[in-house]
Amino acid sequence: MSTAAPSLHSIRPCLEGAIPAVMATCDPDGTPNVAYISQVVYVDATHVALSFQFFNKTRQNILRNPRASVLVLDPLTAHFYRLHLLYERTEDCGPVFESMRAQLAGIASHSGMAEVFELRGADIYAVEHIESVAGEGLPAPAPRSGLLHTLRLCSESIARCTGLDELLQGALQGLQHKLGIEHAMVLMLDASAQQLYTVASCGYATSGVGSEIRLGQGVIGMAARERTPVRISHMTHAALYSHAIRESMDAHAAPDAPPLRGMDIPYPGLPEPHSQVAVPLLSAGRLLGVLFAESPEDMRFGFEDEDLLVAIAGQLAAAIDLLQAAPDAPEPLPAPTAAPPVSGSALRVRHFAANDSVFINDDYLIKGVAGAIIWKLLRDHQHTGRVDFTNRELRLDPALRLPDVADNLEARLLLLQRRLQENCPHIHIEKTGRGRFRLCVLRPVVLEDA
Amino acid sequence: MTVLLGPSHIAMVAKGVSAIVASRDAALRPSIMRAVGSHISGDEQEVTVYLRRSQSEQLLQDIAHTGEIAVVFSVPSTHQTLQLKARRATQRPAHDGDVPVLQAYLQSMVQEVGQVGYGPQYVAAMLAAPLQDVVAVSFTPTSAFDQTPGPRAGAELCAPPSPPTPQP
Repeated sequence: MSTAAPSLHSIRPCLEGAIPAVMATCDPDGTPNVAYISQVVYVDATHVALSFQFFNKTRQNILRNPRASVLVLDPLTAHFYRLHLLYERTEDCGPVFESMRAQLAGIASHSGMAEVFELRGADIYAVEHIESVAGEGLPAPAPRSGLLHTLRLCSESIARCTGLDELLQGALQGLQHKLGIEHAMVLMLDASAQQLYTVASCGYATSGVGSEIRLGQGVIGMAARERTPVRISHMTHAALYSHAIRESMDAHAAPDAPPLRGMDIPYPGLPEPHSQVAVPLLSAGRLLGVLFAESPEDMRFGFEDEDLLVAIAGQLAAAIDLLQAAPDAPEPLPAPTAAPPVSGSALRVRHFAANDSVFINDDYLIKGVAGAIIWKLLRDHQHTGRVDFTNRELRLDPALRLPDVADNLEARLLLLQRRLQENCPHIHIEKTGRGRFRLCVLRPVVLEDA
Repeated sequence: MTVLLGPSHIAMVAKGVSAIVASRDAALRPSIMRAVGSHISGDEQEVTVYLRRSQSEQLLQDIAHTGEIAVVFSVPSTHQTLQLKARRATQRPAHDGDVPVLQAYLQSMVQEVGQVGYGPQYVAAMLAAPLQDVVAVSFTPTSAFDQTPGPRAGAELCAPPSPPTPQP
């Protein structure tokens, strides 16, 4: 027996769900019971959460006699640990419950038991004592080295960024080059619409910039709604965590709006992700969005990857917040520039006031605040010929209906810039300084307010 | 005793699948450990599970003091699960005659656990059991439960005709 009792932190590899844990309870009449449990989840240094899926003997026992003994096994060293637990309470909503539910959906799909695995509750237990069980075991593999250094490199590259675009690209490149995470995206929260929109991505056939996910929808939406990391190690077929069912955005259009086609920017994710991790971007207690990574391999992200992503997400969120809140440039406006020459056939730009959706030559571009912005820019450009704009005037324009705080204007402009880049190379937006930008229109434009 | 187990359950226990043993102390605190072997007698009445003393001190003490024992048998690849319970179990040190049983169990587990992705070396480490450290715990099941995950989990296989004998 080892002399010092291990900490819950030190046995985290045993809590990854690779090998099912077993739990002993006892009926008040003295009959012991032993059963497999799907999940033993690290909650904090002195608590674990166990999945409650069925009203079974374990359940009956624990409600009447709250003591439990759980045996876990290290998936690498074959070393056993015994946890002596005291049942405290059951949660049927909230961060712990939702992250366990997502994980369970993955485990269930993987083990072909999707129908019978449904999480009813997260049972929270105090860990009274952890026993290291005697045994030879296998030598522990060398710990993953350099994780802290990797974090430092990512942190340094984030700290150097001076603009939102650079920041998001830099963070995703950091994941790709320093962590080997090939598929990732950053989504920002649109609080008034209660959804997230993709603002940057890497590793996908299409960028998917502008695609939307409702709060609570899928791994990403759940991480945002519950403000908790959500990590899945096996592909899930549970509809709740899959983005396969893509809602048509037409459903959100006003009832009297004419039928519009293609107002659904496809979500860019992998067709068959086996591992996923979504981490909320939180700054000063506010949810800004979600950092998301996925892989076609099973068990690609362990708890250390989650730790690393949470640390990166913290710094990324603070930087996003700071860059968006920084005052606009103090330097004077540049001398008005002549608009670039316009040539070629006219672009037909249509605006639907009901949802501020904008179509260029019948192709959907953008809607919502970003739609209202491009419509304002094009109208001003057409009436006065101006090309230089400031963030400040957009903030002050009541027609754009930007929220007073956390307007995410930089993120919305970045989204607009990307959508134009990908869908309409004849109109683009260039940054000309902090809080200012230029609209470049290379073809004649015909505006129609529908 | 009444025959609790049907042929498929007897075959499952006889084959050598994952076996976890539990008991409890006088204060109803549960104890638990994985068995390093299991066996069912030729007349299918008595089940023996093997535990390492150094890994199971509390559990063996609880079984000795209260007689209570619960053992869950499970096939890792199919999740087929069975729990047996008894209120009286006997203990004895393992001896040379138990070696073939322990070896057969290990081989069966290497195959069973191999199907869910763990190699022979891992299973051998998990079930390492120097004979001098092994205790054989035998009991006649008085109740049996199907615990295969699903709505039927927990169903008693066959109720005994009379209450079990109270402990002295």
